[in-house]
Amino acid sequence: MKKLLLIALAVLFAVTPLLANGSSEGPAEGQTEIFFFHRWPNDPKNSMFNELLEQYMAENPDVHITMDCILNDQYKERIRMVVSSDDVPDVFSSWSGTFAQEMIASGNVLALNDIYEADPEWSSKIAKASVDGFTFDGVIYGIPWSQDGKVFFYNKAVFNELGLEEPETWTEFIALLDTLKANGYEVPLAEGLVDQWAVLHYLGTILQRMIDPEVLASDYDPATGEFTDPMYVTALEKWQQLTTYMGEIATAIDHETARNTMFATGESPIMYLQFAEIPQLEQVLPEGFEYGFFNFPAFEEGLGDPNALTGAPEGFMISNKAENIDACVDFLKWLVSPERGAILTSDCGDISSVDGALSGDTALPEQAEALQLIQEASFLAPWLDNACDPAVYVVFGQGGQAIASGDATPESVMVQVQEAAASIR
Amino acid sequence: MLNRKRNFSAFLFCVPALVILAVFVYLPLIENIIFSFQSFTLSSRTRTFVGLANYKNLFTDPIIAQSLINNVLYAVISIVMQVGFGLVLAAVLEDIVFRKTESFFRTIFFIPTLLSMTVVCLLFEFVYNPQMGLLNSFLELIGLEEAAQIWLGNSDLAMMCVIMVSQWQSYGYITMLFIVAIQKIPSDLYEAAIVDGAGKIRRFISITCPMVRQMFFVTMVTTVVGAFTVFNEPYILTGGGPGTATMVLSLHMYQTGFVKNQMGYASTIAMLIFIITAALSSIQFFSFGKEKEGDR
Amino acid sequence: MIKKNYIIPRSISGILVFLFLCILVFLIVYPLFWILISSFKDYQGIYQDVWGLPDAWHFENYLRAWDRGISQYFVNSVIVTIATLIGVVFVASAASFGIVQIRGRLGNIIFLITMCCMLLSPQVCVLPLFMLLRAFGLNDSYFAMIFPYIAFRLPISIMLIRSFFVGISKELEEAAIIDGASLWKIFTKIYVPLSKPIISTVVIMTVYYAWNEFMFATILVDSSSLRTIPVGLMVFRDGLMTEWGVVMAGMVISCIPLITIYLIMSKSFIRGLTAGSVKG
Repeated sequence: MKKLLLIALAVLFAVTPLLANGSSEGPAEGQTEIFFFHRWPNDPKNSMFNELLEQYMAENPDVHITMDCILNDQYKERIRMVVSSDDVPDVFSSWSGTFAQEMIASGNVLALNDIYEADPEWSSKIAKASVDGFTFDGVIYGIPWSQDGKVFFYNKAVFNELGLEEPETWTEFIALLDTLKANGYEVPLAEGLVDQWAVLHYLGTILQRMIDPEVLASDYDPATGEFTDPMYVTALEKWQQLTTYMGEIATAIDHETARNTMFATGESPIMYLQFAEIPQLEQVLPEGFEYGFFNFPAFEEGLGDPNALTGAPEGFMISNKAENIDACVDFLKWLVSPERGAILTSDCGDISSVDGALSGDTALPEQAEALQLIQEASFLAPWLDNACDPAVYVVFGQGGQAIASGDATPESVMVQVQEAAASIR
Repeated sequence: MLNRKRNFSAFLFCVPALVILAVFVYLPLIENIIFSFQSFTLSSRTRTFVGLANYKNLFTDPIIAQSLINNVLYAVISIVMQVGFGLVLAAVLEDIVFRKTESFFRTIFFIPTLLSMTVVCLLFEFVYNPQMGLLNSFLELIGLEEAAQIWLGNSDLAMMCVIMVSQWQSYGYITMLFIVAIQKIPSDLYEAAIVDGAGKIRRFISITCPMVRQMFFVTMVTTVVGAFTVFNEPYILTGGGPGTATMVLSLHMYQTGFVKNQMGYASTIAMLIFIITAALSSIQFFSFGKEKEGDR
Repeated sequence: MIKKNYIIPRSISGILVFLFLCILVFLIVYPLFWILISSFKDYQGIYQDVWGLPDAWHFENYLRAWDRGISQYFVNSVIVTIATLIGVVFVASAASFGIVQIRGRLGNIIFLITMCCMLLSPQVCVLPLFMLLRAFGLNDSYFAMIFPYIAFRLPISIMLIRSFFVGISKELEEAAIIDGASLWKIFTKIYVPLSKPIISTVVIMTVYYAWNEFMFATILVDSSSLRTIPVGLMVFRDGLMTEWGVVMAGMVISCIPLITIYLIMSKSFIRGLTAGSVKG
């Protein structure tokens, strides 16, 4: 027994240094350390960040950046947990809108107005609309780094063949889907609803288009949210109608599977996608596949601005507990620059929020078109899961799924939403 | 005096265990009880006392009802498939007819127990996949295309699909427990019964079943407690969806706490789990104590 | 009475049962075989030919899986498992020894205190544990897994080891006491060496638990660099959506250690895993 324990101990000690190597070398004596936490563990972004950090550390040998990252939903949970603690990362990624507000409410996020003002040459290049997403009561709390928008992508070949036009109103859109169905496209609209965020992206846009903006703003605020406007039920009925075009399979697959195995293969001619997905889409598209986009069509009875585009900017925040704020600022200025923005767009496909990053030679023509759509939008509406309290959007997400699988009605979902809103009011 | 000193140094041997249990089991339990009367978020620094509000919530929350139904379904199916079927399977394998092949079957049936739940769940994602999954491909292969389903995407089937994953993983383990119990039955009991002309089924009912009743009881409680605390399978396979069709208590607790950010109410759900499972386990705990004294 | 034993039974009912058992074997073996085969395929190979053997054997899937993070998760799992194992064996056997040695009621009370923990399912403690570990500043370390693992393995281990210690004959011990040996000596020189069988049972139970544990590892640990294999596989799957072959290679790698131990010593493995339930 003793031997066994000795062996175990020996293995433990043998492995420990291995581990130290595995999790990237720690900072050397005298180096400034920055802990950088973001939400992109996937390639290509993960590799891009690794390369960029290496480059930065080579240029600035006195700085050592430790990076960690976890995916999307888990990131949201983690950053919420750590942001108010003393373990708050020095630099971390954040969505704009209410998510940013939640981060700021912890009191640990640095106000950046001075930094923007001190270096106008750098700050003037950052898209104003994106900075707005991080500005609350005139105080800027974040540095935006990418912009995004969600639009319907369509298969140009199918549209040309059937002589279809980009729809502008809901009625036209439904007629278009019916035409496609009549022409043998059993699932005209591809989607994977296993991912709750995919449901929420749809619902966010539908609600924004449908509901009176003032009512919506008051309902999204946890302190005043009621969700009693009868238009909500109408909005969910539109969603219900839309899910009938997604096929039975939609509730059993995830968004990425739908994109790769239904839209990219030509089986489904339309899909609601983010501009940020262009590179992943390009990877799986067959040669010669051409696609275009159109914004979510306007509802005839809708009270919201039909020219808005859903898709919030994302960016970085700095903790005011960071030991070396100057080093963090320096690093972010380096990262959010035309050069690195161009790398972001060419390597990862995100639309950089820095002007001039999207020069013709690094970006795809589709990306240039996307940027134009973003710039033309009357404003950028946040994702639903950035716009309201999690206690509410989880109910919307589950309810949206249940409507799609035929287990709930718009009315019953709204009752649950109202209860959830009441419970946090 | 010497005895006392000796007792004290013997007590020192227990200290590490007592400290660890106090800090990592009892303290969290007490804290959880306190939390369940409070309202707070993960990032909030203060907690507000809300009295019984969280407990009242339990009764009006439709997801609690849905979860309880699913947990009960989980328990019932696990009892039938694991305990019931496991016992029969164990008796069959222990039958003299299978003496040559028993250890082979036993070894194979036990393999799924060794796999981590993540591996099993990822495997079943491929089995249930509606586009290329093993199950639908197999149905197609034998000419039953119409029977193909979207499995986890169908809210009527999803819970059953999730439950079946646990059955696949666990029945071998329960079978093994019964085999161990059956092997302890003195063989002269069976020989006497054969002399009396009792058939196999007769022997199973009147000898095997009563002789393994303690094991029967043990496995029953473990499977039921397991069914009320299940987390990994729905968390990995469906996340509780579609809608809330596959929601179970632990998952609801997790989502309420870490996603909806209502830690107080999540603790109240934890209390519900605690009450159910502690009641079930204490049945086993105390009856086992009696049984053991009876043996002496 | 004495019948010949055939591999395949001769009676009709026997054959039917045998066939049924074979189907059960198939249901277990085939999916595992399928993972193994598919782990050598690329995405197209899996998607377009679900059943077939790979056209080209993509051994590099394993290398890719290893490089893309499985190596780190594997090392983490090894560290956490070994640390938990050492903790459980030391603490549980010491406590069992103490309980056996204490004269009077105190021993029973301590035993009862440990046994009561078995009524508690880990799910109940996970939220406060999370807050607690964060308060201690342990939430982002191996200890966030190791301590709860030890705590929740202690009751059953103490129960098993204690019942074995109770059965150890007192003669050796009394002789040692006359020689003036301390309790520590009695513990390390008499009890522990005599208890190898039960300690190996505890070892197997603990390794099995720590290697496969999912819920604590998912909730209590933040950094991806600390993740153990069961949790890491999930991250791995999210990150490599379309590279199913690589994901399955990762799944295979994660199963290798336990399956190997099982195949080498399946008897004691089964004894280890069934012991807990038989007595508890």
